[in-house]
Amino acid sequence: MAGSTLVYNPVAPPPAETQASRFALDRLAGKTIGFIDNSKPNFNFLVEDLSELLVTKYGVARVVKRRKRSASQGAPDEVMRELTEQCDAVITGSGD
Amino acid sequence: MAKRGRTALTVCSASFIGLGRAQQKALGSPDLPIAVVPHPFGTRSREELREIASSCADEIARLLCESVPRASKSAYEQASIARAQLIEVPDDLEEINKYFIQRRWADGLIIAPPTAERVERMLRHTRRAPEEVVAKIAPGFGAATVELIAINAVMAGCHPEYLPVLIAAAEAVATPQFHLQAIQATTNPAAVWLIVNGPIAKWLEVNSGSNCLGQGAWANATLGRALRLILQNIGGALPGEMDRATQGQPGKYTFCCAENEDASPWEPLHVERGYAVDTSTVTVVGALGTWSMNMTAKQPEEVIAMLGDTMQYPASSDYIYGGAPFVILSPQHANLFHRAGWSKAQVKEKLWEASKIRAGRSRGSEFERMATGRRAELGEIGPDTRVPITERPEHISVIVAGGPGAHSVFVPVSAHTRSVTREVVLSE
Repeated sequence: MAGSTLVYNPVAPPPAETQASRFALDRLAGKTIGFIDNSKPNFNFLVEDLSELLVTKYGVARVVKRRKRSASQGAPDEVMRELTEQCDAVITGSGD
Repeated sequence: MAKRGRTALTVCSASFIGLGRAQQKALGSPDLPIAVVPHPFGTRSREELREIASSCADEIARLLCESVPRASKSAYEQASIARAQLIEVPDDLEEINKYFIQRRWADGLIIAPPTAERVERMLRHTRRAPEEVVAKIAPGFGAATVELIAINAVMAGCHPEYLPVLIAAAEAVATPQFHLQAIQATTNPAAVWLIVNGPIAKWLEVNSGSNCLGQGAWANATLGRALRLILQNIGGALPGEMDRATQGQPGKYTFCCAENEDASPWEPLHVERGYAVDTSTVTVVGALGTWSMNMTAKQPEEVIAMLGDTMQYPASSDYIYGGAPFVILSPQHANLFHRAGWSKAQVKEKLWEASKIRAGRSRGSEFERMATGRRAELGEIGPDTRVPITERPEHISVIVAGGPGAHSVFVPVSAHTRSVTREVVLSE
């Protein structure tokens, strides 16, 4: 029967948690909601439909929509600044 | 957005939830809400999309207002990065391989056990400290310490003197313009191709000649494989999880060659990029594959036309966004061009012109993506607009590699990536 030996674990540990990341809204009525359209096929339609529903059904005051140049790139800093300043919550997309 | 103190929510198609969750955790925001829509989402009809929006609006409203008790920090936090962990395993090659495969620490081929002795031998080939962080590797943003790079290099079968090449490659892939996040997580078959230039290519016997992208050379096989293990084990891109490739490609096992500088009539890649000819470098390329372009011709114009025709693929990221593809010229083709009096820059200009595509060859959503992606550069795009493969001719990279034969190779690249060259710093 084989004895034992020591080898290294080749995997990097995940980074430590850096900060609190979830901020709940007290309600949706009267709030401003931002969308970052990831520019994947059809996501623009989902943004359109959800915007309408959030306003008509949940009383959201205003929707701000911005579209990325492509899905694989992050939103530009100026878009992030603008949405941070204007919106109470921001919705993004992932997947196909 | 969450890091800027705003409520943030991701709408995710069902097949991508694993990627979304893993990335949130890796970025230190593990509790962000995700609303799920059916996958595939992009092929749904307008009516189906209305139904999807209607059914997920309530969930989005609920999640945006949901308060979640914060998980204890220890649930996510790991011990600070210092030295890698030694683990006790059976002293048997097959058992060790089973142990690694079960934990998804290997690539499917047999690995060499990363024992302390082997890793120590490799670490002698750098002056950098074992615990020094060379780079953070997306999409998991694991810290690539010198030691972890060496461990993965041992597993791949690298000789100890290969380590400096892999340290430089880890630095290169983590450079922002390389866009590693997208290369690692995309559904595209994106692999990272290593090109070695300068004297180290000969010292390490990296094949630049016949079959340089095929099997048979220890350095080519193990260097490319080691980088793949680094991307998987340190970057966290496990197939089917954060690595979302639909099929992937064989180049994801290994993809490495040297430029055939002796057979090239022009300055090599690293000299073009500002390094001295006797400096050793490694270049990383986010390659989507290789396509052989075979033509025996006496007229250089005929070869250029053939290459330009072959490069045209309407739905490629290169045409949609303005890319940075590579062309590997065989020595035969390169010397045909050189005898015509053409510099490498002139060859790039001719390829750029010959590979312009009629925009109308892209259909439906691909045409729209191209029209959006290239608008800033080309203005409004109609069906008859001739769209170049890159924004400028010099964005096509050309190297000379391979042995005798009339085959050159087109290497399209992943969206928005730019290849990166780094000096290989030797220990003495």
